[in-house]
Amino acid sequence: MTLSQPEFAFVSTLVRKEASIVLAPGKEYLVEARLIPVARAVGAANVNEFLAELQRRPNPAHQRKIIDALTTNETSWFRDREPFAALTDVILPELIKSRATTRKVRFWSGASSSGQEAYSLAITLQEALPSGWNYEIVGTDISTEMVKRAETAEYSQVEVNRGLPASQLVQYFERAGAHWRVTSQLRKNVSFKLMNLTAPLPAMQPFDVIFMRNVLIYFDVATKRTVLQNVAKLLRPDGWLFLGAAETTIGIDDNYERVAAGRTSAYRVRTGVPAGASRRG
Amino acid sequence: MRAMVIDDSRAMRMILKRIVTKLNFDAVEAGDGQEALDLLADMPEVPELALIDWNMPNMNGLEFVTNVRADPRLREMTLVMVTTESEQSQIVRALAAGAHEYVIKPFTEGAMIEKLALLGLVPTGANS
Amino acid sequence: MSVEVEVNENDLAEMVEQVWESYLDPEGINPLIPTYDENQPSEVHSSVSISGSWTGHIVYACSIEAARRAAAAFLAMEPDEVSQEDLSDVLGELANIVGGNVKAMLPPGAFLSLPQVVLAPESTARFPNTERISGVYGIWDGEPVSISMWHSRADNNQEDGA
Repeated sequence: MTLSQPEFAFVSTLVRKEASIVLAPGKEYLVEARLIPVARAVGAANVNEFLAELQRRPNPAHQRKIIDALTTNETSWFRDREPFAALTDVILPELIKSRATTRKVRFWSGASSSGQEAYSLAITLQEALPSGWNYEIVGTDISTEMVKRAETAEYSQVEVNRGLPASQLVQYFERAGAHWRVTSQLRKNVSFKLMNLTAPLPAMQPFDVIFMRNVLIYFDVATKRTVLQNVAKLLRPDGWLFLGAAETTIGIDDNYERVAAGRTSAYRVRTGVPAGASRRG
Repeated sequence: MRAMVIDDSRAMRMILKRIVTKLNFDAVEAGDGQEALDLLADMPEVPELALIDWNMPNMNGLEFVTNVRADPRLREMTLVMVTTESEQSQIVRALAAGAHEYVIKPFTEGAMIEKLALLGLVPTGANS
Repeated sequence: MSVEVEVNENDLAEMVEQVWESYLDPEGINPLIPTYDENQPSEVHSSVSISGSWTGHIVYACSIEAARRAAAAFLAMEPDEVSQEDLSDVLGELANIVGGNVKAMLPPGAFLSLPQVVLAPESTARFPNTERISGVYGIWDGEPVSISMWHSRADNNQEDGA
């Protein structure tokens, strides 16, 4: 049972709109092969039924699964590099001054998937913070399975090849059979929990830096606004928010302003405006 | 830019050549470390990059790296081990000998490009 | 028995999956489907030997057609363009890749040989005094492929100079 033209059109529109990825016609077999496990995982009888249901009732979580299944780049270490360079070059030097009394920073990886981003942040902090400082990283994801995987902190040979410098592989990982496991030195500072960003967020201590990249692209404007307002409440007034390269708060939530951070940009809550006080939502 | 692909497997050389050619390198092949050193001796310009297998006849990749590091003329060459040797201790040995990066086989094309990007050898945005 | 060796079928299967993802099936549409048939036929095979802290062989065996398709995938050519040299080279590299990764899971002080390729069916006669300790047997694109690990019974503690 292959994908029909309208089914393929539906999927290719979705990934073009949400992930800027163009699926050329003729890739129907590939799309179907990738979606079979997704359909199975959500309890649909087959891919056709899965897509029909999604067209009847849009479901952001299921849309995200499709995009994840059809994109291959989501599991790199230090993905996109620039935000991590901005941390080392600009943001951490600033935080080291402003948090000199508590000597502690808190980071949030707000769509932590299998954990590479959270552990990449841990490596960055481990290397950049002066001795005597502490850091805490919280990774959250909407998938129970991903939260479990990230907690296990084990990665295959193919996974550790992706964007991770060899010097850091040998320093921060150890062999665990066929896998590589993040060392306890990093793991003890990183925790993961299940969280749906579109629902009211649980009480958490605010964060100095939030990485929430390639999450908003899956939502409509109203939901984007809700997520950004929720996030603002958890961002320290002088904290930093990183979005994906194709994402912005501009035109969605004016409480944020875009600021330069190294060779990329980040977002900060405007001074004088209480966090989450937008009148638009 | 020029890249040298050093592996006793012709199939692996083909794969590596395909990737570096995509990144606009001219590729030169060698089947072992000694052959690579001989070729380098005759080249007027030193390649910017070498992708080096570990286990090869005549001269293995680690010996090649050691030789290159001892030769001031070859100082600018970026050395990337591409090997099935995947013990932590082996990676440490190769880095200590002077390799700049280390890619474990099997690797995907994307992974290889990302590693070269880490070394500043890929124009940004060129990962297809 | 090889109590100290912790390379099980799952580890082997995962390595095989990574080889497929990297070279033989990058689009993820044509995996090796397990048959669990230890006696499935082969027409060609390649192997690497491991010595030192552990002694044995890693064997990649398949049909000629599967070898041809593997070579075509590696070399980015059509299966009917594949020469016998291409086929041998790719079979050797496949054994080398799996063998190298197995070696990394063995106790320190193991050494990997260069690959050997035999364009004839896999036969236990080639690996005397060994026993199979683990293997992945499957069908790839309708053709038999297996990867197995054989431990030398006469594991006579060779000295190795690392």
